[in-house]
Amino acid sequence: MPAASTISVLVVDDQLTMRSLIRNGLQQLGFTDIREASDGEEALRVLVQRPVRLVLSDYNMPKLDGLNLLRAIRSHPPTKGLAFIMLTGRADSELVQRAAQYGVNNYLVKPFTVAILRQKIEQVFGALT
Amino acid sequence: MTNSTTAPQKKIHVIQGEHYISGEDEVMLSTVLGSCVAACLHDPKAKVGGMNHFLLAESDNHADADAVRYGAYAMEVLINGLLKKGADRKRLQAKVFGGARMFDGLSDVGGGNARFIRKFLADEGIPLLSESLGGTAARRVEFWPSSGRARLRFTGGSDVEERRAPPRPVKPADDGNVELF
Repeated sequence: MPAASTISVLVVDDQLTMRSLIRNGLQQLGFTDIREASDGEEALRVLVQRPVRLVLSDYNMPKLDGLNLLRAIRSHPPTKGLAFIMLTGRADSELVQRAAQYGVNNYLVKPFTVAILRQKIEQVFGALT
Repeated sequence: MTNSTTAPQKKIHVIQGEHYISGEDEVMLSTVLGSCVAACLHDPKAKVGGMNHFLLAESDNHADADAVRYGAYAMEVLINGLLKKGADRKRLQAKVFGGARMFDGLSDVGGGNARFIRKFLADEGIPLLSESLGGTAARRVEFWPSSGRARLRFTGGSDVEERRAPPRPVKPADDGNVELF
């Protein structure tokens, strides 16, 4: 049972409002090491400096979208094994299938509650303390 | 009153919870708003625009988080749709309408919606060209997505109600229409 405070997280979304919402939700769940990036390219720069244990990433983003970010993470040895949860819209079932092929750990359909966020993270890491 | 466009007009009504995006000159989007908010976004270079229409939860402290979550999602869907049609996020401009207080005595849902959309646009760096938010009268909004032109009419009922809630940014024309360029 991992403590949320031991799991470092990178939140990737081009909307500041959405990043703030996710950060607030993570803080409610006990996460403390939370970093942010506004697109896939920035996310890769952050991860190269210091990998995190969990990436929560939007799909639709400028420069490098969530799917290509996932591919880049999985092909780069230092980041290959980190957990990746994709944030999707309601109509993105095809995307979910493609993300599964590239090794996504879970997905989260927007808009979501903190309880759902917790459930999706626990499905990857086990029950949080 | 003559129509300024010569092309045959295709009128599309945007209902609550939906959005529509177009770059066609003949398309005109319309909606009627009470407490709901409609955001009209436009990219003047790509000549594409879109309108959504959403109602957020009541605005006590707990529900505010829900409101922001659903509002942020509604805006994201509209913005992503515009980007797919060739818009550039950095060029997007906004006009927003609605958020009226429709019933005395109930919580001010409309006010919460208005606060949300102003904060969202400020946080996301999307310029707000014009707004007509609040008041107590319903609004009919028409928006031409390719040009970004918007027209507002108060439909709240009697003349008294219209006077109680005049449009703030611009003066109404004689026929009650307001052009929002």
